Amino acid sequence: SSGIHNLEPLETTISDMERFKDSAKFELNCPNCSHLFPFGGIIASNFYKMCYNGVQCKNCDHVFNMIQFTSQLESVIRSHISLYYAGWLYCDDSTCRNVTRQISVFGKRCLNDGCTGVMQFKYTDKQLYNQLLYFNSLFDMEKNKKQLLKPLYYEGDIDYPSEQLAESAILALTEQNRKLFEISQGVIDKYLDNCGRRYVDMGAIFDFMMN
Amino acid sequence: DPEKYKFRTMRQKLIECSDVLDEQIELFTKFAKEHLNIPDTEFGDPTIQSQADVYAIGRIVPDSPQYDGFLNTESLAFETSRLNGIGRRIRLNLEQVEEVSLFCGQIALLKGKNANGDYFLVDKILDIPYPDFPLSSSDELSEYSDLLNKKSSKVIVTSGPYIPENNFDLSYLTKFVEKINIDIRPHILIMAGPFIDTTNSMVMSGNLPHFDNLKIQPTTLNELFVKLISPILKKINPSIQVILTPSTRDVMSTHASYPQESFDRKALQLPKNFKCFTNPSTFQLNETYFGNSNLDIFKDMKEVTKGGKTTMSNRFDRVAEHVLQQRRYYPQFPGSIKKMTIAKPKSEDSRSADSKIYKHISGADLEVAYLGLTEFVSNISPDIIIIPSELLPFARVVKNVIMINPGKFVKPNGANGTYAQISIKSPDVKDGSLTEIPGEESLYLHNVWKRSRVDVVTN
Ligand SMILES: [Zn+2]
Ligand SMILES: [Zn+2]
Repeated sequence: SSGIHNLEPLETTISDMERFKDSAKFELNCPNCSHLFPFGGIIASNFYKMCYNGVQCKNCDHVFNMIQFTSQLESVIRSHISLYYAGWLYCDDSTCRNVTRQISVFGKRCLNDGCTGVMQFKYTDKQLYNQLLYFNSLFDMEKNKKQLLKPLYYEGDIDYPSEQLAESAILALTEQNRKLFEISQGVIDKYLDNCGRRYVDMGAIFDFMMN
Repeated sequence: DPEKYKFRTMRQKLIECSDVLDEQIELFTKFAKEHLNIPDTEFGDPTIQSQADVYAIGRIVPDSPQYDGFLNTESLAFETSRLNGIGRRIRLNLEQVEEVSLFCGQIALLKGKNANGDYFLVDKILDIPYPDFPLSSSDELSEYSDLLNKKSSKVIVTSGPYIPENNFDLSYLTKFVEKINIDIRPHILIMAGPFIDTTNSMVMSGNLPHFDNLKIQPTTLNELFVKLISPILKKINPSIQVILTPSTRDVMSTHASYPQESFDRKALQLPKNFKCFTNPSTFQLNETYFGNSNLDIFKDMKEVTKGGKTTMSNRFDRVAEHVLQQRRYYPQFPGSIKKMTIAKPKSEDSRSADSKIYKHISGADLEVAYLGLTEFVSNISPDIIIIPSELLPFARVVKNVIMINPGKFVKPNGANGTYAQISIKSPDVKDGSLTEIPGEESLYLHNVWKRSRVDVVTN
């Protein structure tokens, strides 16, 4: 393998902000009032707050049952996997921009006449793997406590939360929601365990140590 | 071999996908040369200009990689293998063919001419021979017949969803299990998923109710299956063999692509009379070979048709014939996708004014590199093929194969659905229902289609 490939394990040291920059947010639907809002862990949000027994919708005060939360997490994961398997490809030649689900018998060949660009998956296995790791990070107790999560909002955003959470509140809420977090991570692990990419990463780490 | 389905998912390599797509063409080339008496010299590369007629094998594809989903006889092209035409594609001219039924992904054998380099003028679309049928010896047949005391074997087939879109009413399933145990008493019950569908609207929106009959509420969809579905299924009489086949939308499967690994029986907490099979799978009940594929080719196949005979014929029959000729349970490529328009984009992030934003919902989820596992085992046609579909339930005999769509067990609105009941008369070499194939040892065609009765029954 090439030298660049051997650098892959170093990815584990990059920040979540960098690693998950392309990851999609986890959007929740309130089963009571049908409001849609992104969930970003134990953070300040104008749309939800964490209480001692789970996620509470700020619009209607409904507290999500455990399964009202995990079923959405699981179906979102499945729609990401299905989008991955839709197999969209794009041509890397900027003058061509062919986007298709057709695959030539020479996989990387662009099917537009005369184009010498290289076809690649639009949704790569690496992106899908990172997406699963992003979901996983939302329920990581340490990352929540230390506020190392990828932020949902930046100052100046229209939805930038008006109030911030106190550090003591974050620590307490993380502990109080331990069960929800563990069960949610269990749902994600179900898919991470079947994810070929995870084993590539491990293989690469061993390669790196052997070299 | 079910072990082969246990590959890790979410790791597709483009080159492995294209290897398989190329092999499909090569396989049929080899096969056509063996079975049709066409000399090697008459096969040619349809993408090069030539004054002579040639036979060519390739894949039916759209003539533009960006096609919009609506194809007609003027918008098809033909893809060659790496070996035969360095993977080039050539537009098809079908003006001279009267009867046409083609679809994307189909491996076709065409005869025609490329006179000017621009297109291949098709003169004839040749039928690819149908696969052979399984055979049994008279000893085997009498053994099978004795096993059932010369009585008919009874098989019931159901297909999900088992839960409506708007509530968790499981009364149909409960009543069905009673009926199975008391009235029907089949030898085999085949149940195809989805049992709990990840695209069910209650599941997607988190609109799950409080389950009053449960002391401890389920915390995940897996628990929902174990606490709600398993207890009902466990009541099936242990003398009835139950076969479960997953759907790629099943919550209880972590393998969300087709071909698909079987469920884990222990995770479902089901007893030993339950067998979990892969999707697709081939299995034998006495002499009868079953093919079972849980991916909706009857709905998904987008045919381009032309000609009176073709358009007047039954569409289910045509799709079934394609499946048999292609020797794969889901021959369409690319597989279908289901998406939902969620918004028109803000002008700043749209390239063209009328582009829309789609949300991907689900799809055929083909694991292209493993499509070999979706081919008929040993190139033999099953006697009975079960392919659940969202379309109307049916049972039809096509080219001496019984094709069954049991229909949905419950309708999305909660109304009662259907299941299929198959009764196969015990094989008897003396009653003339089996066809003898003479040889060193006489073997018999099963002619299951002549000895069976299939009823689509309303729940
Ligand atoms: Zn609400
Ligand atoms: Zn290109």
